[in-house]
Parts: sequence; C-alpha cells; structure tokens
Amino acid sequence: MTDNPSPSEPLSYAGALLETMRGALASNPHSIIMGQGVDDFKGTFGTTLGLADEFGAERVMDMPLAEEGMTGIALGATLNGLYPITTHIRADFAFLATNQIINLIAKYKYMFGGLFEVPMLIRAVVGRSWGQGAQHSQSPQSQFAHVPGLTVIMPADSQSILDMYPYIVENYRGPVISIEHRLLYDLEFNVERGDPNRLENPLTSRLIREGSDVTIVATSIMVLEARRAAEHLAKTASIECEIIDLNSPSHPDADLILSSVRKTGRLVVADTSWRPYGVAAEICRMVCENDPSALQAPAVSLGMAPAPCPTAKSLEDAYYPNLTDLTDGIARLVVGREQHGVPLADETSMRDVYKSFKGPF
Amino acid sequence: MSGDEDYKRMFHQALRIRLVEERIIDLYPSDRIQSPVHLSIGQEGAAVGVCNGLRDTDLLFGSYRGHAYYLAKGGDLKSFFAELFGRATGMAGGKAGSMHLAAPDVGFQGCSAVVASSIPHAVGAALAARRLGKDQRIVAVFGDGATEEGVFHESLNFAALHDLPVVFVCENNGYAVHAALSARQAYSISKLPAVYGIPYTRIEEGADFVAVDKEFTTAVADTTGPKFIEIMTYRSKEHVGVADDFHAGYRTDVEFRDWQAKDPLVQDTALVEEYQPAIEGEISEAVNFAETSPLPAPEDLLADVI
Ligand SMILES: Cc1ncc(C[n+]2csc(CCOP(=O)(O)OP(=O)(O)O)c2C)c(N)n1
Repeated sequence: MTDNPSPSEPLSYAGALLETMRGALASNPHSIIMGQGVDDFKGTFGTTLGLADEFGAERVMDMPLAEEGMTGIALGATLNGLYPITTHIRADFAFLATNQIINLIAKYKYMFGGLFEVPMLIRAVVGRSWGQGAQHSQSPQSQFAHVPGLTVIMPADSQSILDMYPYIVENYRGPVISIEHRLLYDLEFNVERGDPNRLENPLTSRLIREGSDVTIVATSIMVLEARRAAEHLAKTASIECEIIDLNSPSHPDADLILSSVRKTGRLVVADTSWRPYGVAAEICRMVCENDPSALQAPAVSLGMAPAPCPTAKSLEDAYYPNLTDLTDGIARLVVGREQHGVPLADETSMRDVYKSFKGPF
Repeated sequence: MSGDEDYKRMFHQALRIRLVEERIIDLYPSDRIQSPVHLSIGQEGAAVGVCNGLRDTDLLFGSYRGHAYYLAKGGDLKSFFAELFGRATGMAGGKAGSMHLAAPDVGFQGCSAVVASSIPHAVGAALAARRLGKDQRIVAVFGDGATEEGVFHESLNFAALHDLPVVFVCENNGYAVHAALSARQAYSISKLPAVYGIPYTRIEEGADFVAVDKEFTTAVADTTGPKFIEIMTYRSKEHVGVADDFHAGYRTDVEFRDWQAKDPLVQDTALVEEYQPAIEGEISEAVNFAETSPLPAPEDLLADVI
C-alpha cells in the first residue's frame, strides 16, 4: 500500500480487462492480441472492443478457427520478439491447443536448458449458466497447473486483473494462462489504483478477509461466494471466516495458507472445477505434507458435481456449489455438528447474478 | 413419385423446421429455453435436401447448429422441445440442450459444440461400416469455418488414404460468427478435396431443397470412397441467439433479401398457407408436452457419468 492510497473506485471485471488489454498494446509496441472475434463488434465480451481500430488490425488480429495453430504461432512470435496475448472465448476451446501449451510452451525453456524464454499470455474464459452445457463450462486450472513450466492465474475481481496483467505483460518472462470467469465480467468491484508496483509478486495468493474460526481457500467466482458466506456467518452466528483467494493455482502462497490454517484449525476449499485431483486435492496435500496437525477437524471441499455439466437449469443448479452449500459446510465445520443450528444463507447469492445473466453467451 | 410430390414433401419438411425455429424465437424472451441456440433459419434447404435420400440406418454427425438436421433426419419433435425446456422427457433428459442433439434411432449420431470435432467421428463410423460390412451412408455436416481446424484436414487425409465411404458436407454460409470467409481463409474450400483426391461437388442453390437432393444423390451414387459436397447457404439470424444482426455492421441485409428472393419458404406463399396451420398445431402440441413434462430428478445429475 502507498502512503496516500488513491480512493477506491468501481470498475467492472470486463472494464479492467479492456483497460489492461489497451495498456498492454500501449506500453509495449511489440505486443499483439490474437483470437477469434477480437476485432468484431462484440470484442471478446467487451474486453478488446475498439482496440483493432485504435492499434491496427496487425496488432489485434482476428484468427481463423485454429486453436493449436494460433498457439504455436504465438510461441514462434514470442521466440522472435513479439509479446503475444491469445484469447479463447471458452476455456474448453483451449483444450484444442493443449499440444502446444503442454508439450511445447511449458517446456520450451527447460527442455533447451534455459536457451529460450517464452513470455506470453493466454486468456481463457470459463462459461457458466444459461445452458452452457458440457463443452462450454469447463474450468481447466488443475489440468494446466499440473504441468511444470506454466503459470496459471484465476483473477477473482477487477483489482486482481489490474495487479496482475500489466505486471505479466511488462515484467514476467514466462508463459501465463489466465482463467477468467464469464459471470464476473459484468460485476463491478472497487479497485485501488495506487502504486502499480506495491505488490512484490502479484502472481500468488491474496488475503481477502481476516478471521479466526475457519480458513476458506477459494478460486475465481467462489471468492465472491466466500465473501458473501463470510458476511452472512459473521452476522448470524459470529463465525469469523478468513478468506484466501488462491489467485494462482500454479503458484499458491503456501506460507499464507499454512499460517492461516494453523491459526483457525479449519480448512474449506471452494473451487470452480471438480474436486478430485484438483485445487481442493492440492491444498489438502499442501497441509498434509507440511503440517497435518494444524487441522482440528477434517477439511471440507466444494466443487462441481463429479459429472459433465448438464444443460437443464434444474440440474445445473444442483451441479454448482452455491451459497447455501458453502454456509452449511462452514457452519458444520466450525460448530462441529451436522445439526449446527446456524441459519443458512438464502439463495439470493450468485443466483441473482446467474438469473440476470441472460444468455446466450 | 412425381417431382411435384417430392417438392411438396420436402417443402413441408423445410417449413416445419422453419416454423419450429420461429416458435423458438417467440418463446425465447420467456426464458423457458435457457440454452444458447444456433438457428438454421435460411439453411433448412440444405438439411432437407441432404437427408431426403438418407435412410434411418444411414448415420449423420452434426454440430451445435443442429436443429434442422435433427428434424430432417427424423428426430422426434416432442423430445426436441422438451430438451430445450430442460425437461426429463427431452431426448437427453435435459443434459444436452440445443447444442448436443442426437437421435440414434434415426441415425442422428450427435452434435458437438466444439467446432469440427465431430468430423472424424464420421470417418471412424465409415471405417466401422466397411469392416463390419454394413450397408450405410455416413455423413459429416459442418460449417465453412470448421475447414480451418486441423482435425478437418486430418480427417480428409485418413478418409482418402483408406478410401472410406464417408460424405463430407460443408454448409458454406459465408461467415464464422462475425468473420467473413475472406478474412479467415487463404484457400478455397472447393480446391481442398482435390488435394486429397476426394471428388468434389458444389451445390449452388442451398435454399432449393429439390436441387440439393438431386445433386447430393448424384454425387454420392458411387459409394466406394469419400465424397465432398459444399452447399452454398445463408444464415439469416445472428450466429447464436434469436435476433437479427444486420445493424452490427459485419454484413448487410442486401444479401439477406437476395437470399429471400430465392427461398421457396418465402416465395411459395400458397403452399405456406396450406401447410402452416397443421404444422403450428403439431408444434403447439410439442411445446405443450415440453411445458407439462417434469423436470429431471435430482439423482439424474450423477446418472450416466460412467
Ligand atoms: C474449437 C472451437 N473454437 C471456437 C468455437 C466458438 N465458435 C462456435 S461456432 C463458431 C463458428 C463456426 O463457423 P462455421 O464452421 O462456419 O459454422 P456456422 O456457425 O457458420 O454454422 C465458433 C468460432 C468453438 N465452438 N469451438
């Protein structure tokens, strides 16, 4: 924090993305954005809108349907001096590029003994709600964070975008995959601009809220749910939640997480993807390997149901963990009984957002 | 059967598809269909013409823009609307929505929402058909944009290499989302099949289902190896969703009006008048079926995972 923090101001997630995309083009003449529809009238859900006009079609390039090709082209471009930013309007489509991402980009530095660096940014948007179904809803943080050589981030709010994207584009020498969340795009968050270099390393976990009773480690939109759960539980049951935004699944702040769990003795992990072999499994591994005695009760984890995503709204509602599930899980853990007597938060949480999120995309 | 009867039967099918999608447009603001829809309005002639000569045992693989083929191939209308409404009686019990239609009982083998990803499935089905001695036609339907994906080229190569009896049907509507063909492709789709030694047919008038049927049937008469058919067609609504988007600037409504001038469903008003009431009745019945059907049971969430 600076001595004179500038006052906070509201900025939407999509607004932060547009601002940082423009910033990337303005600050570095070698940066380019490549992706399907980046130059069209919707501009990647508003996050590249107008940039092709402002910076030219050669720097904001619409791409054919060729995800693997695009990603390999980006690799070649960064090897020869450009800074590429690639986009996938659904993270699911980035799976077509996994050959380049996992077999090439992740290994390009190491495999050649450090002869090369491949700085680049891959943006992938997670879809949810309005019948996104099995192939437009996946959240691939654990697939990518599993692979050494990749830096995987999941901005949970506008501040995180302002803190990370300029840093990545200007200072970071490795490939970064940013997993953005479509349902956050239209939400406004308070941001503080302050000193852009105030964080020594923005690409790691962030403490969002202090509390003494339970540690919630959350990703992406689940950070927002955790905030709402924490407010509700503080008000109705004097349960104080500490919230850590994992922010970087590949490079979590283990000290922050472990010291919090030592303090609270209780751990809840709330992730946007499936639990097995995922973020929940990884955070539990971290605690088990480092300080198993820190936990006074078994850990609790929330994620998508172990199935592909169904399209029907009624099934989708059951598929994703909601505020009720989260408050229930936390209350059971803190009170130590199934029948904890804590009033559950009603379904005004993100369901409001999901309801007002009118499809199709 | 006389040519006139053929025309009328296919006209009826094409009109039915259009009216189904126009009903979807009417229903959409009510939020009862909570699924992205990629409408085929303008492209019905291609689906009807291609499917006219296909039997239920012939297999067709489609894309997220699948309503027209689902219906043209003979998929059930009630379970179609029930699926869009997210009901237990939908063809996938609410798990598919609009983008993943299938009707294996009539050879409609599924739609994928990942562009080009079902093209190799048709090649594999043709491999199986030949090995197992099945008398089947196997058809892959995809858009012009799909030809940009690597797997498209891999599929053509394999099919040609093994001389597999698969029909590649490219519906060329000129756009992928908002990008025109010329902004995306340095090649000409028409020249690609020859590179792999695959016979190519271009069907110029996609709205003319009789012509599509005739030219398609001729092109696939020889069943020994792969065939490639490009059908020139036109999507009249936005890429996804139910609105018009001529104001968006990437295309004009001049091409739309040119298309309408050739569209039998617009031109042949006498036949529309004759068929429309009965079709609307059938659609209302299907919508009513969907509306009164139960939601999926909670335990369905984890059914069919493995
Ligand atoms: C692999 C992949 N990349 C991107 C998308 C997003 N997308 C959906 S449809 C589409 C355009 C496809 O165009 P075309 O093949 O011509 O078919 P059309 O939609 O015109 O019928 C795109 C880019 C996707 N679904 N899958």
